[in-house]
Amino acid sequence: MAIATLTHLTYWYPGASTPALNDACLATEDGLTVVAGPSGSGKSTLLRVFNGLVPHFHGGRFAGRADVMGMSVSETPTRKLARTVGFVFQDPELQTVYNAVDREVAFGLENIGLPRREIAGRVDEALHAAGVERLAGRAVRTLSGGERQRVALASALAMRPRLVVLDEPTSQLDPGGAEIVLEATMRIVDDGRSVIVSEHRLDQLLHSATRLVLVEGGIVRTADPASWRPPAASHRLPRASAPGGEAWSLERVSAGFDRYLVLDGIDLAGRSGEVVALSGPNGGGKTTLLRLIAGSLAPLAGKVLRRPGRVAYLPQNPTALLHRPTVRAEVCLTLDRARDPEPPEAILTQLGLQSVADHYPRDLSCGEQQRAALAAVLPGTPSLVLLDEPTRGIDASARSALATLVGRLRDRGAAVVLATHDTDLRSAVADRVLEVRNGKVTEMQLEVTRV
Amino acid sequence: MNARAVAAWSAACLVIVLSTTNPAYKALVLVAALAALATGVGIRRIRGPLFAVLLVAAFASLVNFVSAHLGSTVLFELPERIPAIGGPYTLEALAFGASGGITIAAAILSAAPFSLLLASHEVMDALPPALSRTGVAIAASLNLVPAVATSFVQVTEAQRLRGWRPRGPRSWMEVVVPVVLSSVEGSIQLAESMEARGFGSGPRTAVESTSLQRSDWMLVAASGLALMAFAVSHAAGWAADWFPYPMVSLPAMDPRPMAACVLLFAPVLVWRSRH
Repeated sequence: MAIATLTHLTYWYPGASTPALNDACLATEDGLTVVAGPSGSGKSTLLRVFNGLVPHFHGGRFAGRADVMGMSVSETPTRKLARTVGFVFQDPELQTVYNAVDREVAFGLENIGLPRREIAGRVDEALHAAGVERLAGRAVRTLSGGERQRVALASALAMRPRLVVLDEPTSQLDPGGAEIVLEATMRIVDDGRSVIVSEHRLDQLLHSATRLVLVEGGIVRTADPASWRPPAASHRLPRASAPGGEAWSLERVSAGFDRYLVLDGIDLAGRSGEVVALSGPNGGGKTTLLRLIAGSLAPLAGKVLRRPGRVAYLPQNPTALLHRPTVRAEVCLTLDRARDPEPPEAILTQLGLQSVADHYPRDLSCGEQQRAALAAVLPGTPSLVLLDEPTRGIDASARSALATLVGRLRDRGAAVVLATHDTDLRSAVADRVLEVRNGKVTEMQLEVTRV
Repeated sequence: MNARAVAAWSAACLVIVLSTTNPAYKALVLVAALAALATGVGIRRIRGPLFAVLLVAAFASLVNFVSAHLGSTVLFELPERIPAIGGPYTLEALAFGASGGITIAAAILSAAPFSLLLASHEVMDALPPALSRTGVAIAASLNLVPAVATSFVQVTEAQRLRGWRPRGPRSWMEVVVPVVLSSVEGSIQLAESMEARGFGSGPRTAVESTSLQRSDWMLVAASGLALMAFAVSHAAGWAADWFPYPMVSLPAMDPRPMAACVLLFAPVLVWRSRH
């Protein structure tokens, strides 16, 4: 049965001259539909068509036709489609209304005026379907990212939707969190619901997918999920020279907040021309360790030493950096401050940002914003490079470009520290992998590398 | 703990604090609010908010002391030629400023149980159905407040490491702009999420708050009685007003309005710690 049909659908965001979706024709059936494509290609826009957020919430021009479960999207408001289509967004923190798990799951049911006596049963059913019954009664703020995202999934399922749409639900999660969300997604498909999911971690989903939709530059086409292969992972980059002297070190360092010790008595050092990757679960202390090395967090005990020179720091949230009118202006700001003669085009080209160099960075897609933030901190010749989840939301080709750029900085003598869950990036550039967990740092075996 | 009972107590505190000029009664309400918060939230958890409230109150007191050069008890003088702050500094201005500071602190702490003690959904459930949708929207936006605070720290750190240094008000634009934009984007994302879950599609289910328990009824009764007793005291002239100019004097204290204020200590008896 056709769940959703797009017929020559073209959509322009307000004020845009080029369409975000261009003459899209598509018919999705029951089962699992996977949406793939590079960042900024129009995947999120396509997904928002299925519950009417495009065009009802975002405005803009909408040509052609879209039908979901027999309802015309352009004629049915999102709040009505919400009874049929559940939607889970990327960021689990920005879709929470209440702070109590049960009430959060009940929010949609209250909105549609479900009788009070039915709400408790529906909440229990949804928590069970998402595999988070044990979280009932918990405060949302005490949950991990993976748990929060599964509560968001339960909130969508409470409405008993026929179709569930997930927009990169694991992009902000560590591998453990991502695994539990993907397992819950597969369980929904097994329960007989239709699911449309946009995701960068495709391995687990493709073998169960009934349909694959590829989006690139607003063009939508379908492919056979059995024969399609995602872009190849980055190759191990050869190094030009051996690592140099010590560039940073931590001696018996402890750090934490509000009497909660995040790192406890850490001894660690990194050399110039060396890439150190930090892995470990969300909340394990990777960001705290990066902030210590950067000098933006004072240790509770111990000593942090850094070789003098410019520090390039990419925070976990790229929008913390972006405030200039164009991507190029962001790059120029850093180069001017560092008095570095390198032209901005160099890094814009390396990160594939030429086409959006004169765009307002906050208008870009999540993946493009991440690359813009990388371009804003990495131009020139920093001596210490600290990147917090640099591949968040970016596609395989951008990841490959980042690996090349990191390799180049390393060869110029920069000491690089990456906090990343991305095994491809680690295997492409890391000289050492350290696991940060429960306040301790342990050396890990370097992943098998591809040469 | 029922949000409607808490509202009754907060309203009684606020009405008394704002209806009298006598700092003795205001101070009594302030102590009652502090005791209630210490009981329900715990001393350790209110230290931060308390410090912020005291800072605001101290600032308000200071502003009056520095700007109102009235009264007969001169403590010291600054030359008149100094713009804005020159002139006599009086005990009366200091006393009046302190009274204003107590008013501010008592008012804030009387309303504090809504944020420190109750979950947002408990407050929303206590609203009448006509206000339900607005209440939910406000509760959802309040959820973004911690995110804004975190964003401020993140942006300041990131911009510092990128070479930014605070040099005058204009330089703060590099921090303020990303924080404000991130907040707006977060609000839009939240609104999108609420819309996708049917918000605004029609009348909402009125999820009633838990019914009033015996302890809640006791609190409502004590608050109502306090309010009535203070109103009667005021009308009868027992709760005398206080004005420090032209010469400061101790505020008059009468046992009847004081007894009314003491009733506001009821939460100490009926609340249990929620943390």
